[in-house]
Amino acid sequence: MSRPTLAALILVVGMLLLADLLVVNSALDALAGIVVNAVILVAAGAALAAVGALGVRRIGDLWRRRGDPVGAVLVLVGMGAVLVAGLRPGSAGTNDPAVQWLVAALLVPIAATLFGLLFVTTLGAARRSLATRSREATVLVSAALVTTILLIPLSGSTGAWLAGAAGWSLAVPIGAVFRGLLIGIALLAAVYATRALLGMGAADE
Amino acid sequence: MNERAGLRLFRVAPVLLLVVLAVAWQLPEQRWLRLSSSDPEVARQMTSTLDALPDEPLVLVGFDPDLGTYAEVRPTVRALLADLLARDGRLAFVSLTAEGRALASAEIARLGRGAANPTRLLDLGFIAGAEAGLVDLTRGVQLPGDEADGSFARQVDADGIDAFDAVAVIGGNDLGPRSWVEQVAPRIGEIPLVAVTPTVLLPEVQPYLAGGQLAAVLGTPRDGAAYREGLDLGNLERLVDPTPPRSLPLLIGVLIAVAVLGQTLGSRLLEFLRAARAPAAG
Repeated sequence: MSRPTLAALILVVGMLLLADLLVVNSALDALAGIVVNAVILVAAGAALAAVGALGVRRIGDLWRRRGDPVGAVLVLVGMGAVLVAGLRPGSAGTNDPAVQWLVAALLVPIAATLFGLLFVTTLGAARRSLATRSREATVLVSAALVTTILLIPLSGSTGAWLAGAAGWSLAVPIGAVFRGLLIGIALLAAVYATRALLGMGAADE
Repeated sequence: MNERAGLRLFRVAPVLLLVVLAVAWQLPEQRWLRLSSSDPEVARQMTSTLDALPDEPLVLVGFDPDLGTYAEVRPTVRALLADLLARDGRLAFVSLTAEGRALASAEIARLGRGAANPTRLLDLGFIAGAEAGLVDLTRGVQLPGDEADGSFARQVDADGIDAFDAVAVIGGNDLGPRSWVEQVAPRIGEIPLVAVTPTVLLPEVQPYLAGGQLAAVLGTPRDGAAYREGLDLGNLERLVDPTPPRSLPLLIGVLIAVAVLGQTLGSRLLEFLRAARAPAAG
């Protein structure tokens, strides 16, 4: 799709949804509904395409004997198990007990275990980042050390002080940095959107 | 310690950590440790918001935690669901992320196993499109075919999102209270939004709490523990986690992290001091 067409499409859809939010009009409401449903269909299609692409990629890995064969087999078996459980004749879809068992007994604990390993890998990454002797890494790890100390779950006045300091660090310095990042991202998105709407691009585009 | 011994220790560290944590998990709770926040204001805000709801409130539960952070919020989420059911609430679950849907499915099944009254639960399933799905939700609620019966379902089918007295958002990294405030709140009436989120979302959620768009948020394990301590669920106690998070394993994890980070920073500091002294000595 050419840039002016894309910009015009974004402009029309954006103005339509904005007008629907501000003006009570049944025709406008119906039109906005069609657009929203179209967006949902596109998103659902994209999600299905992504899953399909993952499956095709893993089958390709096995066929051409590249990558990690064990990982590819596990991915395909997992996808197949959920598909069979959810789509077999008589299945209740996502509410089927077999699907719920696969999710509750396998998927959730396995994913939680993987994320639990982050405790070890994050500490390893902190050590390696300091080995580079960069100032940024030193500041990052120092801040992480202080924040971690504030999480010590003590009772009494010391615990109350630590909890108060942890709350302050979340609300003030961490909050300020995080919100600064969000504001920066929002400004960049606004600038990019404006450039897209106006059909402006970099010289090399 | 030579390099080989250090490498060996690093390799067995995860197993050692698991053993230590398992032992700590079995030890009785220590009085000098306390997980809950000493300032109960955040928990009180959640409780007073729920107290202000009408009798037998209809609550839309936007269930979109992610697998990575769900372990942090799970005890509080289960306590909130039990609290709402103990208030004779009726809960309709909807998810807009795949991970949220998987976890919602597991939690609804768990409530069923806990003999929660099935007429008070409604599974609205998964809506694709993330924020576009949220907008669509405000335009009308689609009931899955197998959920079309019952007075609760009929009321939701007839009134859509206006049927609900409150929205409880269980947030995650992909979709959280911010999206609900931005996409849903301007399109519905004065329905209070409450949220349970992992700590990582707190910086982006706090401004909405301060601005009143969110009525209450439980965003840290300490606040969650304070909320759970104040609950009186009666016979619905069976719906919460039978073994709440323990302070001692948490303390051990924190101390290990502090020791590793401190040792690494200490080494760096010594290196820096030696380097600073070397030219002076030369």
